[in-house]
Amino acid sequence: MKRKLIAAIGAAGLLVSVAACGSDDGKGSGADGFQGETLTVWAMDGSTPDGWTKDVEAAFEKKTGAELKFEIQQWNGIQQKLTTALSEENPPDVFEIGNTQTPAYAQTGGLAELDDLKKSIGADWTETLNAPSVYDGKQYAAPWFAANRVVVYNKKVFKEAGVTEIPKTRAELFAAFDKIKAEGKAEPVYMPGQNWYFFDGLTIGTGADLVKKKGGKWVSNLADPKVGEAMEIYQKYASYSTAPKDKDEATPQQAEVFAKGKVGAFIGMGWESGVAIKANPKIEKDIGYFTIPGESADKPEGVFLGGSNLAIAAGSEKQELAREFLKIALSDKFEGQLSKELGVIPNKESLQENLKGQPAGEAAAPAVAAGGTTPLIPEWAAVENPPNPIKTYMTAVLNGKSHAAAARQVEGEFNKRLAQKQ
Amino acid sequence: MSRPRSAASKASALRRVWPNALAVVLFAGFVFPVYWMFATAFKPTGDIVAEDPVWFPVDFTFEHFRTAVTADNFWTLVRNSVTVTVLAVLFSLVIGLLAAFALARMRFRGRRGFIVAFMLAQMAPWEVMVIAIYLIVRDADMLNSLIPLTVFYMMMVLPFTLLTLRGFVGAIPKDLEESAMVDGCSRPQAFVKVILPLLAPGLMSTSLFGFITAWNEFPMVLILNKQAEAQTLPLWISKFQTVFGDDWGATMAASSLFAVPILLLFLFLQRKAVSGLTAGAVKG
Amino acid sequence: MTAPRARTTALAPYLLLLPALAATLLLLGWPLVKNALLSFQNLNMRQLILHLTEWNGVANYTEVLGSSDFWRVTGRSILFTGANVVLIMVLGTLVGLLLARLGKRMRLTLLIGLVLAWAMPPIAAVTVYKWLFAQRYGVVNWVLDRLGFHSMADHNWLATQFSTFAVVTLLIVWQSIPFVAINLYAATTTIPKELYEAAALDGAGAWQSFTSVTVPFLRPFLYATTFLEVIWVFKAFTQVFAINEGGPDRLTEILPVYAYIEGFGNQHFGMGSAIALLTIVILLALTAYYLRIVLKQEEDEL
Repeated sequence: MKRKLIAAIGAAGLLVSVAACGSDDGKGSGADGFQGETLTVWAMDGSTPDGWTKDVEAAFEKKTGAELKFEIQQWNGIQQKLTTALSEENPPDVFEIGNTQTPAYAQTGGLAELDDLKKSIGADWTETLNAPSVYDGKQYAAPWFAANRVVVYNKKVFKEAGVTEIPKTRAELFAAFDKIKAEGKAEPVYMPGQNWYFFDGLTIGTGADLVKKKGGKWVSNLADPKVGEAMEIYQKYASYSTAPKDKDEATPQQAEVFAKGKVGAFIGMGWESGVAIKANPKIEKDIGYFTIPGESADKPEGVFLGGSNLAIAAGSEKQELAREFLKIALSDKFEGQLSKELGVIPNKESLQENLKGQPAGEAAAPAVAAGGTTPLIPEWAAVENPPNPIKTYMTAVLNGKSHAAAARQVEGEFNKRLAQKQ
Repeated sequence: MSRPRSAASKASALRRVWPNALAVVLFAGFVFPVYWMFATAFKPTGDIVAEDPVWFPVDFTFEHFRTAVTADNFWTLVRNSVTVTVLAVLFSLVIGLLAAFALARMRFRGRRGFIVAFMLAQMAPWEVMVIAIYLIVRDADMLNSLIPLTVFYMMMVLPFTLLTLRGFVGAIPKDLEESAMVDGCSRPQAFVKVILPLLAPGLMSTSLFGFITAWNEFPMVLILNKQAEAQTLPLWISKFQTVFGDDWGATMAASSLFAVPILLLFLFLQRKAVSGLTAGAVKG
Repeated sequence: MTAPRARTTALAPYLLLLPALAATLLLLGWPLVKNALLSFQNLNMRQLILHLTEWNGVANYTEVLGSSDFWRVTGRSILFTGANVVLIMVLGTLVGLLLARLGKRMRLTLLIGLVLAWAMPPIAAVTVYKWLFAQRYGVVNWVLDRLGFHSMADHNWLATQFSTFAVVTLLIVWQSIPFVAINLYAATTTIPKELYEAAALDGAGAWQSFTSVTVPFLRPFLYATTFLEVIWVFKAFTQVFAINEGGPDRLTEILPVYAYIEGFGNQHFGMGSAIALLTIVILLALTAYYLRIVLKQEEDEL
């Protein structure tokens, strides 16, 4: 059921470029007394490109003498699978976990504490990316990679409508949409009613908090006017689209709609263009990307930073070996390589240069520093279980309800979920 | 004079035509979704997401099947699914038949109670009992094994199997058995020689239900068997509806491959099964 | 000599039943007991992962029974089951009677169509239906558009409770009719011809012979099938869950789906167990009538 949540992380990279293998590091240290052991790592489908996997496996075996086994996980039912696995005698030693899910798992006691690791290799992890790994002041996971949304646009449609400059502000973007609309050949932007992570980004942009503490308990803060402000921006986007108001960007897959060439743009992950190209190879030459423009040219729109962390199971008997793996996988060399191969945002700003030549990644990077996530509280996971009340709120507003009334409508469900016993 | 006759013949022609016409319409209605699954599986992606449906896969392609079959561990999953399904069905047939024989043919204290108990067992909502089953299997240290799957799937289909077989056994005239016994057969011998052959259609039709149930089970295998080597095909189908979006081509190809064994089994068995089912069902 | 023989004969039925009973106790009874125990616990992610047992009395039950959601879902489940079963039984019977009227070749054709629909594994069937009713590129909308219902061109079938249920119902009825129809057809072939002849001699018309011969003969069959269909439809988890995960807005959740989402989706396993048990109780209540008939009928037999 967490499929959508994790999907938003955009782990899957279809833009595979050639792996550049750096110099040989970890030379001479040799096998470290882990001979004969096997470390199991759960990675989500799409997170581990072949080149990277092979190189990491080789480096790991060389350094530790142990074997590394990646087990690729499907999205369907992953949460049940992970929770139950953590209760077992032989949990996966290391696993990929969505950044927003990390607090919920941290409070269960299922994740090993990683303060030592943060000290030794995490000094310059990007602040906004590391935040979700910290719970109650302690480090429970390590940021692996992230992705955020950009505007994916059809150059031909923009050009035919007379839009020649890439929009730098929100106003310019809407002006461009107006032109496309006037041209009448294409839907200016495909924006279904429940692209909730885009909306989350907008609330980060307006500085809104989705929850607040009241009497020691977390409750809905949807009624906040700042949330309404974000929703107004969203509504403006949606007004240019005929997409269903009660569906998210995955049904139908927005990239496939875009692939038909009758849509000016959509807000999505860079890798989604791969989906479009698969559906219609001819679209490839027309696809372009730019950073979602904000209020002013110097500050991009707020974005949701979907990210993946790596965590170690508290129940794993190979704590030390698992740390060795993290040190290798998260080293500058392999972070850089992953970033290159997947086109994802690496965990350090200094490594962002690896995105050079990847237009989608380059468009995404500027927004990272001002990005954010969903509220980092264990209770949050329950909110996003379908049907996500915030999606319900969005559809209600788009169907004509006022912001205040829609917020009120879902508040009960929202609060109920936040109050669930942990 | 001729008028009424022509009217009558028209009416009778109509009477002859409408059942056939209706049958054709019904046939189309029942078959279309199945057809569409196969048709989609053979079409290139561009024809699948088309403004106007492409009714026949003109640009025939095996691309989606290749995607589906080359997924990791495909053949392991096939083997597991077949093993688990066949064993579960066989066990339930054997155990069910023994009990069915007792319930249909013998008179003993508590008989009614047993029948009702098995009817109740039929109501178990397995999907929501999965967590309890998981804890039992986990604590018994039997995760990632095909054994728990086999026995629980067997249990899922046992009540239906048993009750239906009871009907079949009951429908076989008692005298047949008795005359065999008069001829010097013992009761077990009479059973094997006389009843079992007559039961063949019943066994087949009952097993169909078991096949479908075991073949489809998803929630239990998902959390019981996390290692890829111990998983089954339903987990594989869901692979193609992922972050990449629903890959309808591959999904339909996978669904087709998934459905084919059952479809064939049905078409193969339906003749005998149908005649058999009645006996069972009528007796109920 | 006869004494031990008689004793084995007396024991025989129990011996024959032993494997089935043992399996049921071990593989169904035990999980049920376990489930019952869990339903009195506060069991969430943390407790599951750390193997904690936190008893919390009847709190899960009071919460479930006290929530209007549960009762709404229960009512919906009953309506849903009722509507589907009526449709299945009526249409299935009609198709079965049609089969009896058809010529050989036509009958075989229709039988094959029915068998194909019946044999579709539910997982595959749901996937196909989602694809048929897809908002964009779905065949159903295209056809409706061509037939002149242009507002249906981009219709989203899963947008409202009613139309989602309509799709699920179509799917379930489509897959269930074959079972009823084929069995009913087969059952009619076993009706002795003499009964109809006798009825005709008494001057019965087609309808009368149907009500006075066919229906009484098929009654036990119809009862049994209805009972099975009630159970199957009530428990139709795969179809309802897979088509829209109980959406929109949880409005198409039926009891098993509700239990699954509360228990598994939201990872409140104790709560899920409580709902599961309540689900069984409700199903029992729904089928009590038939079970009573069976109890009575078995008394008369043998």
